[in-house]
Amino acid sequence: MISARNRELAALIPVALLLTAGFAAVFAQENTRLGDLSLVYGAYFLAVCLAAHIYLRIRLPDADPYLFPLVALLTAFGLVMIYRIDADLARDQANWFVLGLVLFALTIHFLRDYDVLERYRYTIAAVGLLLLLAPRLPGIGQQVNGAYLGVELGPLAFQPAEFSKICIVVFLASYLREHREVLIVGARRVLGVTLPPLKHLGPLLVVWGASMFMLVFIRDLGSSLMFFAAFLALLYVATGRFSFVVIGMAMFLLGAWFFSSTVPHVHDRIEVWLDPYSDPTESGYQVLQSIFAQADGGLFGKGFGQALVTIPGSNDALLPAAQTDTIYALIVNELGLFGACGVVLIYLLITARGFKIALLAADGFSKLLATGLTAVFAIQAFVIIGGVTRVIPLTGVTLPFISYGGSSIVANFVLLALLLLISDRARREAGSSGRLGEPAMGGS
Amino acid sequence: MDYDPISVALKFGFLAVLYFFLLWIARSALKDLRGTIAPAPDATGFHAAPYGEPVGATESWLVAEHGGGLTEGKRFDLIGGLSIGRSGEADVQIEDRYASGLHARIFSRDGRTYVEDMDSTNGTLVNDAKLRGEVELIDGDVVRIGDTSFRYEAGG
Repeated sequence: MISARNRELAALIPVALLLTAGFAAVFAQENTRLGDLSLVYGAYFLAVCLAAHIYLRIRLPDADPYLFPLVALLTAFGLVMIYRIDADLARDQANWFVLGLVLFALTIHFLRDYDVLERYRYTIAAVGLLLLLAPRLPGIGQQVNGAYLGVELGPLAFQPAEFSKICIVVFLASYLREHREVLIVGARRVLGVTLPPLKHLGPLLVVWGASMFMLVFIRDLGSSLMFFAAFLALLYVATGRFSFVVIGMAMFLLGAWFFSSTVPHVHDRIEVWLDPYSDPTESGYQVLQSIFAQADGGLFGKGFGQALVTIPGSNDALLPAAQTDTIYALIVNELGLFGACGVVLIYLLITARGFKIALLAADGFSKLLATGLTAVFAIQAFVIIGGVTRVIPLTGVTLPFISYGGSSIVANFVLLALLLLISDRARREAGSSGRLGEPAMGGS
Repeated sequence: MDYDPISVALKFGFLAVLYFFLLWIARSALKDLRGTIAPAPDATGFHAAPYGEPVGATESWLVAEHGGGLTEGKRFDLIGGLSIGRSGEADVQIEDRYASGLHARIFSRDGRTYVEDMDSTNGTLVNDAKLRGEVELIDGDVVRIGDTSFRYEAGG
């Protein structure tokens, strides 16, 4: 039988191999010769991953073995793709990857007993809301493309929504853990629909109000959708009432429809989504170019380093925001439909592992926290991939672990650390009571 | 556009390794999922007890019916007694905001089974009647603590 940590170690090797192959392919395209630089980068990457692996071996020996390799694979995708756009950006990204792992280690060190999060839930909720509001505060807020997403504190610039999502999920998990019974028991049926008790509808309305507020003040359709969907997922898991989800979705759509007709920025985004061809060179340019790039990729893609990011002979972008918003389109262009399915599969597998952790966890708070963190992660991936493929309006949400951006990488590593903390405790308890099938499935 | 053989080989190699890696993880994940299905209650050793043993103390069960964060139909054997409550010290830990830390206990005496309220804040109901002190349990009795209910099943 292979222990959890040895599985993790074994899984990290193909990941490093993939990174090396990716870099080699990019170099081969750029220099038309193969140096040993890709091997050096691959070795660096493997060394950093091994350091994190050894830390996990010591601190969380029973944690899920596949989450970290899967996340490392996403990071490898990101590094190769960003390097292929701009080597300097990739250097930043590599630094953030290391910084993310440092915060990952610190989270595991200080939140070993993550139940303390439950005790400070109102503080955490307040911090989360403050972070959301920060981009609108005078002096430190920044406006990017009409949305208020960034904060600048001296030399430090970051996107607070990335950190806020963790705070909000922690609060919701803790709140719903305590109030789930009341939400179920007090529910009554009105016209064949099960409604939550009016008295307890308050918090639900607050969350709905917060996501509508984000839509209007932060003008961030993507984050708004991400937060609210994660909340509905948690509410569904906590109460088992599908009708609550339907009511919530109806409320969100109603609010989104109302504000899309009154807030110009949101309105523009929706117009572009519905009909990008009406203004193909200006507002519809990004959506259209990303769709063309994906179609151009075909089944197997054009190969690493072959996609055109800028218009030949100029610095104008052919694929705008290729390192952040449309990085998925770039991957599809270079690796084709198969590469795209691979990326989506990585996200699906991470989500499956996350829900598996929730299934194994013994207490309510751990269950809901694991569910919420996994849901918010999965929905974030959906919101941006859906945006780039024109399933939903394109928004400025990052593709977790792949997109260029320090806040995104660091915040998602904190999220991963929390998931692994829950997983370690759950698997240790399940293992000692014989609930886990692991010992019986050896030899694979 | 030239098709550099190295570049093409690397692209397909990359995709192949990627898919093998994902397949391996998916397979393990699938096995893991099967592993969590709890064994049927019949599979436990107690059912193998020979006939003619005194009933009551040996083959009685408390079955979770509703709420408390317990899986419906989960069975707890009553050999050696059982405590129910919200704290981690209770044998049957329930998530119920109306339950006390150690809310009630179930024990057997002279081959009969009794339930006793442990001075809980919100009380215990047996067949919807408020429990005072202790009462003997008969097959099919429903014990309710807050929003959580259990059914008592005497063996036989």
